[in-house]
Amino acid sequence: MSVKKQSESAITLVCCKCGEEFVKASVTASYLGAEFPIELWKCHGCGVVYIPEELAVGKMLKVEQALEDK
Amino acid sequence: MKTEDCTGKAVELSETESVCPQCLSRIAARRVARGDDIYLEKQCPEHGEFKTILWRGLETYRQWESAKIVPSCPPSCQPSSGLGCPYDCGLCEEHRQHTCCVILEVTQRCNLRCPVCFARSGAESRTDEPGLEDIRRWCRRLLEKGGPYNVQLSGGEPTVRDDVPEIVRLVRSEGFEFVQLNTNGLRLGEDKEYARQLKDAGLGCVFLQFDGVTAEAHRSIRGRDLRAKKLKAIRNCSTCGLGVVLVPTLVPGVNTGEIGAILELALHYAPTVRAVHFQPVSYFGRYPSEPRNEDRITLPEIMRAIELQTGGLFRACDLYPASGENAFCEFHGKFLVHSDGRVDSCGRPKNSCCAPPVDAGLVQLGAVPDGNGEGARRARNFVARHWAMPEEPEECSPGLDLNSMDAFLAEHRQTFCISAMAFQDAWNLDLRRLKECFLHVLSPDENLVPLCAYNLTAAGGQSLYRGCGTASPALEGKP
Repeated sequence: MSVKKQSESAITLVCCKCGEEFVKASVTASYLGAEFPIELWKCHGCGVVYIPEELAVGKMLKVEQALEDK
Repeated sequence: MKTEDCTGKAVELSETESVCPQCLSRIAARRVARGDDIYLEKQCPEHGEFKTILWRGLETYRQWESAKIVPSCPPSCQPSSGLGCPYDCGLCEEHRQHTCCVILEVTQRCNLRCPVCFARSGAESRTDEPGLEDIRRWCRRLLEKGGPYNVQLSGGEPTVRDDVPEIVRLVRSEGFEFVQLNTNGLRLGEDKEYARQLKDAGLGCVFLQFDGVTAEAHRSIRGRDLRAKKLKAIRNCSTCGLGVVLVPTLVPGVNTGEIGAILELALHYAPTVRAVHFQPVSYFGRYPSEPRNEDRITLPEIMRAIELQTGGLFRACDLYPASGENAFCEFHGKFLVHSDGRVDSCGRPKNSCCAPPVDAGLVQLGAVPDGNGEGARRARNFVARHWAMPEEPEECSPGLDLNSMDAFLAEHRQTFCISAMAFQDAWNLDLRRLKECFLHVLSPDENLVPLCAYNLTAAGGQSLYRGCGTASPALEGKP
């Protein structure tokens, strides 16, 4: 899980588990056997990945639906 | 598997029930293999024996037989009158699948009088049509019955009405996200603005009767050469980004040699043409004469013809059984069309029991869906996504490198689907298949009736449902 801390210039994501900041990192998203090397926010400390809501219900959902087709 | 014993006799594969084509009484039936062909064999005590071809190709029969749906009772059933299937359909508790698509007949009139027509429509047909408030009530009835479902506006020819855009808008506003229009395309071909009006109203796709590339195919099946108007209809849809599905009715000896040419033409007009959906001719409603077995083409023959007539561009092995309804009702395949003309199969459906194992070390997107009525739900979503023109990709999460997903989605905008649906008539009706049907007509008494039951007619023309309101009083007391 993560929380957001507003600074003057930008939003910083902080891991609520270990307190470390999230940084952009390469991850592999996988669904139904297909793999997608993409960039997501990842906790520098514990490695948990944060998926922005607009991505989860937008592009990522469309990819899932395409893969789910009968 | 052996299909003949040592004396060369046919081998019974399984039992089911059907009806007598003469009197529509329910009778026992057997699926019987004779060499490479599978027949439905049955005997009416009054009208004798009937032997009707079901499937020409034992190998694919075994493959399709192994594709089972998960039975699932519809969310809202009508109490049975006691007559049982197929006489008191509404749907009843014996039904084994939810609804995928509902056909709303918005008129019985038609501007053609095709020699082949489920609905026996023509210019002389009834003119008392449902108004917009009737259609609104239908929509709410469908919501009570577990909707929203995909909706197909049909008839008759829906476009003889002037208010089809209003109907589309109304159905969409009641919460039905995917609406298709079953049409002969004459109005779409004649009126440039009509496609735009339909698109703006929220139409998902045009389900366009398209029987071939020769004048003779059109004359034989529709009564006149309609090629120029059909092509104009496709071009008018293309102009405004409205997806089109070509729907050939396949009649042996008439247009079964044009399967490859139809696919070639469809690819030429892709991505506007999203799919070709073949319908082997069925003998209910209006048809030229009582069918012989050589008047039928079965699904495996169409699959083989697709491969042969396209020179292997589309392969029979890339076509699969349905997953949402009885397997013997359908085949389908999904393909990617590349800009250089190459075509790749998208392969076996991944969301099935054959899905590859999940790697726990990777980020998993979502979950594999499962559960009640899942097959019908998946089919609904599939049709809505692939038969409509895909939306333009949207920007999200700027600053993150999502190129691999963008490339995947761009590729999936170029999909092209091939499918076929084999309807059942009084000769080849298998009640097991009927109970696993997910394509339903909203009847005048506002119940859901499987399309093949709704259109079923005896050899003498009497109907179980169409034109009767409910099951025909003439058949009272059956079986």
